[in-house]
Amino acid sequence: MASEPESHGGTSAPPAPPSNGALLDIDDVFKRFGGIQAVRGASFEVAQGSITALIGPNGAGKTTLFNVLTGFYRGDRGGISFAGDSIFGHPPYEIARRGMVRTFQITKALAAMPVIDNMMLAAPDQPGERFRNLFLHPRAVRRREREVREEAIELLDVFNLGKLADEYAGTLSGGQRKLLELARALMAKPRLLLLDEPMAGINPTLGKRLLDHMKRLRTEEGVTFLFIEHDMEVVMNHSDRVVVMAEGRVIASGGPQEVRKDQKVIDAYLGETFHDSAEEGG
Amino acid sequence: MTPLAVDIANLFDIEFLISIGVLAGIYALVALGLQLNVGFTGIVNFGQAGFMAIGAYTMAILVLDAGFSFWLAVPCSILVTMAFGLIIGLPSLRLRADYFAIATLAMAEVVRLFAQNARSLTGGNQGLFCAEDDPSNCYPNAWNDVSDSINEWISNFWADPPSLLPLLLVVWAFVLVSMFVLQRITYTPWGRVLRAIREDEDAARALGKNTLVFKLQSLLIAAVLGALAGLFLALNLKTLHPTEFEPLVTFFAYAVLILGGLANYRGVAIGALLFWFVLEGTRYIDLPEDPFTETRIAALRLAITGALLIGLMAFRPQGLFGKKEEMVLGE
Repeated sequence: MASEPESHGGTSAPPAPPSNGALLDIDDVFKRFGGIQAVRGASFEVAQGSITALIGPNGAGKTTLFNVLTGFYRGDRGGISFAGDSIFGHPPYEIARRGMVRTFQITKALAAMPVIDNMMLAAPDQPGERFRNLFLHPRAVRRREREVREEAIELLDVFNLGKLADEYAGTLSGGQRKLLELARALMAKPRLLLLDEPMAGINPTLGKRLLDHMKRLRTEEGVTFLFIEHDMEVVMNHSDRVVVMAEGRVIASGGPQEVRKDQKVIDAYLGETFHDSAEEGG
Repeated sequence: MTPLAVDIANLFDIEFLISIGVLAGIYALVALGLQLNVGFTGIVNFGQAGFMAIGAYTMAILVLDAGFSFWLAVPCSILVTMAFGLIIGLPSLRLRADYFAIATLAMAEVVRLFAQNARSLTGGNQGLFCAEDDPSNCYPNAWNDVSDSINEWISNFWADPPSLLPLLLVVWAFVLVSMFVLQRITYTPWGRVLRAIREDEDAARALGKNTLVFKLQSLLIAAVLGALAGLFLALNLKTLHPTEFEPLVTFFAYAVLILGGLANYRGVAIGALLFWFVLEGTRYIDLPEDPFTETRIAALRLAITGALLIGLMAFRPQGLFGKKEEMVLGE
């Protein structure tokens, strides 16, 4: 019955995160929709430079919490601080500009725009996004456009999308869209990337590449990751910290080994099967 | 003459063609604004007739009642229209696209009904026109002077030019300049954000774009184009009636937009010409008097135009110049 690929669980633990404090601090966040209390007092921290996984059964409030963190929903109460500043209740564009950039569970490729435009859109500090600068500073706009285009093409090459730069994003396959969304988020120069089920709907080869990209970005660019994921193999082997939510609350958090043995987590989410296999594997 | 034949001589009469051209130019301006809103920003603005009315009435009231010169009243009326667009846009652009459409339609109807009922200000259904006893202070006068001097210059090469020709030239000069400017600003980083909002507003917000500001800017530019169209309509009609600003005006502009194709400014100009040529040209289809009474023919003209639009949608859903990829992929 223990069929999950868990055998290398204990051996390939990722390096410990550089422990220079919390980049994101979530303190007792609540969010209600009518009669449904979707998030009821979630608190946890995301350490600078870590890859933190957020797991839990369907309806645990993970995506709702993501939406509150990134300003897409307004939380009812609680505190959220990012890099030391409170961002609770701030609008999404402002939170993104601070360096906390998200992707969506269902990819939001801008279908009727070319791939390169998807990428260039995300670049920060383009004076040409202010209407008056189109007339007042056309040269500064063009100069920044050239830089941004170069950056975008470099990044597309890294993600093996270079050849598709001029295609409409809508013609890309599901997996390519996932890569594009990650690459696009990186164009925004994030300090913290929030990925909502990055592995869902893509084949294992592509998933492996996505994980490699994440690890490389963490070491090379110092990007911190918080991701929602259901694939336990990915969660247990590729994250430094796991936060478990159930029914709107955080019920456990800690290293993957610690969390998988937690009885509350086993009861609420992992189930005995997983626990058994973990025992065997570990 | 055989029934159902088209009266070619009248159809290609120069005065008739010029009057169509003026109408087409006015609707091209309205629809260029819609193109920016609908085709490039994804906001469905049904309020263009309202912006036209605000522009036209503000100018006429400032000249006729407040004694402004026409040349001062024009920029003032455009500023008033923009201010109005801001007031309308700020609350309604936060709504979902379909609610925004209804809000703008309601706004345009409020403006029209206000014009109909605020008789002391707008003349109500009697219309707003120059006082017969004091024709000196009258907005068409300032335009008539310009028109006369243009025609005087034209008469160097063309003896006795049609009286509407100067208006045609000026309207289309505005259409071409607007097309050029819109084309230029659409393919910039600013325009890229608009297109991103059209595709997926949440994605644009997640990438740090304050989408409300961009949508407002898009709406205000459309309002300015609407105001310009309203001003030209006022010059064309010489009197203003609330009936000139019915929702039908906006719907005709949408027909122009769909005919020309989404996400293409050139299509709007060609679409406007074609739409008005067909709609007005159907006047010259010879129909037997029985059973075709005048009211029936008026309805039939709209039906024929509608049938042509439906045919176009069936065989060329992207319109004359629209990009099929952008339609299919947008879904």
